[in-house]
Amino acid sequence: MIFYPVVFALLVTMALAIVRAVKGPSLYDRVLAVNMFGTKTVLFLAVASYLMGRPDFLDLALAYALINSIGVMAVLQFFQSREFRRRYEHRHEAE
Amino acid sequence: MTLVFGVFLLTLLVIVAVAIVRSTNLFAAVMLSGIFSLLMAVNFFLLDAADVALTEAAVGAGVATVLFLSALALTAEHEQVRPGGAALQWLPLVVAFATGGLLIYATFQNPVIGDPNAPVHQHVAPWYLENTPELIDIPNVVTAVLGSFRGFDTLGEVFVVFTAGIGVLSILGLRHTLVEMTSAEIDARQRSLRHHLIPRVVGRGMVPFILLFALYVQFHGEYSPGGGFQAGAIAAAAIILYSLLEGDDRGRALVPEWLLQIMVASGALLFGGVGVVCMLLGGSFLDYSVLAEVPSEGQHLGLLLIELGVGITVSGVLLTVFHAFARRASR
Repeated sequence: MIFYPVVFALLVTMALAIVRAVKGPSLYDRVLAVNMFGTKTVLFLAVASYLMGRPDFLDLALAYALINSIGVMAVLQFFQSREFRRRYEHRHEAE
Repeated sequence: MTLVFGVFLLTLLVIVAVAIVRSTNLFAAVMLSGIFSLLMAVNFFLLDAADVALTEAAVGAGVATVLFLSALALTAEHEQVRPGGAALQWLPLVVAFATGGLLIYATFQNPVIGDPNAPVHQHVAPWYLENTPELIDIPNVVTAVLGSFRGFDTLGEVFVVFTAGIGVLSILGLRHTLVEMTSAEIDARQRSLRHHLIPRVVGRGMVPFILLFALYVQFHGEYSPGGGFQAGAIAAAAIILYSLLEGDDRGRALVPEWLLQIMVASGALLFGGVGVVCMLLGGSFLDYSVLAEVPSEGQHLGLLLIELGVGITVSGVLLTVFHAFARRASR
């Protein structure tokens, strides 16, 4: 059964990503950890659906693969808008 | 083997939950809650609950992180440490441990996972499994149970979503004029990712595929995991992605707010309306069998309509909440 080593490796990678997300230290480590965890989730669901003999559950992995990127876009937009707002507030205070 | 995976993933879940509680940086907490949701979805998946896992995927991975970040944009970066006596901090800890201990004690009485003699497998579940092919004639029993056998519950859930949307709007304000905003550049142009080529090209390319997938989940829910709730959340996620990339103003131009308000109300109305039509045709409330000559075809039609109603309301509410946050942040 080739699937078991694959699942095992994925679980170890997920645990490592969680270690990085919990420890940090910088925010970007955490963002990357979440992103990586999302990718590993997609892979895990894909492998597990074959392992469980339900390949039609591959839909779920597909859904994750499509939707996962939205969170990262939101993070990008969050940091950008925060940057602009700070600059705006600074200018406002200076006046 | 599944049990080993389950225990391992649940252990990770506990670690992440503790980390969320202990983290004072709110952004880190949001990121960790994203991981929490992904872990939760994998656990649902391992328990064979594909429909629930898909909901968690659509809401947790797509919409929740976006809404958390929108809320975070309105507040401070760090959690405020509240000054208080040690007794005040011990009390919640004791309560939490007592409740947790009670719940763990209660699980000792639980049957083993997958035990065929467990009460849950003896009650109504065998009846559903046995009668779905004959009465409803669709392969996905979950959709049959949600939409038809327990249609009342689903109608209630739709109204819960509807009420939650109204609640959020009454807190955040439905109409916020942007008069106070003197620097227009903060809002429309620079807040979006419009000037970043790669996210824009890649992201915009994904929007139609996400919408297509939402339609697939919506109309294929009778045959595979999915249905109105999941499809509504996925469709909302697609529009949210567009709004993030192009700016909230263009997102609102794409799906105008009057349309969203109509969507929120009309989805719930469609669901209830199908029930009333069933009554007018001589059946009981939400008994779709009377909708067509052949009862199972009536069930198909009824399920299609109510799932459509659910999808419209869910996506309407999620988008309205997102816009309410975004507008608030741009003041």
